[in-house]
Amino acid sequence: MLLSFAQMLLSFAQWIQFTPLFTALRGSANVYPIIMSLHMVGLALFGGMILMTDLRLLGWAMRKRSIADVINQFRVPKRWGLLLTATCGILMAGSKAEEYYYNAFFRAKLILFAVVIVQELVFYRSVYANPAVLDRSPSVPGNAKLAAALSLLLWTSIACCGRGIGYIEPPLDKIHAQMQGIRDAALVPRGLYFLKGQDHPNVASAN
Amino acid sequence: MLITNPLNSSALTFPILECIHIVGFAFSIGTIGIVDFSLLGIGLRGQSPAQLTKDTWLWTLGGLVVMLFSGLLLFSSDPDMYYLNWAFLIKMVFFVAAIVFHYTIHRKAVSSDVPPPNGKLVATVSLLLWTGVIFGGIFIGFIYPGLSFGKS
Repeated sequence: MLLSFAQMLLSFAQWIQFTPLFTALRGSANVYPIIMSLHMVGLALFGGMILMTDLRLLGWAMRKRSIADVINQFRVPKRWGLLLTATCGILMAGSKAEEYYYNAFFRAKLILFAVVIVQELVFYRSVYANPAVLDRSPSVPGNAKLAAALSLLLWTSIACCGRGIGYIEPPLDKIHAQMQGIRDAALVPRGLYFLKGQDHPNVASAN
Repeated sequence: MLITNPLNSSALTFPILECIHIVGFAFSIGTIGIVDFSLLGIGLRGQSPAQLTKDTWLWTLGGLVVMLFSGLLLFSSDPDMYYLNWAFLIKMVFFVAAIVFHYTIHRKAVSSDVPPPNGKLVATVSLLLWTGVIFGGIFIGFIYPGLSFGKS
């Protein structure tokens, strides 16, 4: 089950990177770095607002503003920042989707996104939906601080994983050759290789 | 005599420094962006840009210091390459301009509670300068000294 899901993801990645948009993007020397730069502009603005919100909840920054002010006012600009960053991110990932599929940092980044969504859902009602309640309590409740600390940790890790993606280059040629070997082994009786005096492709690629 | 930089002895130092550099600019450019958007009247209408500056200036400065020192260390890993990399040179021009602008004209624009009439212009220039710094930083990795452009 899990294996076939992975196979589906891989097929999707292989298909999407050869759609005209992503093919053009991959071939372009100039557009790709521009998109990456916009991704970083988005990170600076969106990340800056996340940092300030979290630090406000922890009581380390913007203490003269109420928590409600900070959370409510950053909500819409944060969405725009996320939209810009995510759009550019999807464009970059899509253009090298198969490579990204094998990239450990990209996988870690996706898992961290899933954890961020869980974090938001878990703390949504107690922290983010009614920040005015937090202002009324004499000190910031522990679970709000926990939410902020987790958010800081998760988003910083996401940024670092993003940087890490560029340091791994999965050897697609090698992976393709291995897969071809497995396909051949499934299609061709083993005896044929023996009769021809050749190594089985699986054996050959292992050597 | 060959002088070896201890930074280059581990393959992990450079990427870790880059991450610190990124978090540093999220703090500095992020907080500057917050003030600029407030000057532009986009979001954050609850308080004046001057109040926002009082809230964030220390984080801006902290982010700038982290960004600057991690940047210097990154530069030290391969100074010749950076020196010949025109994206890096453009980045430095934007960076110096952005810093000077931030602590002169920008600072004056957010000093009083009533935003000045040229507030929107100041915010736009500030955002453009910092965007230039980020673009320069990204393009460093796509340029190979010798004035060629892109990977070929």
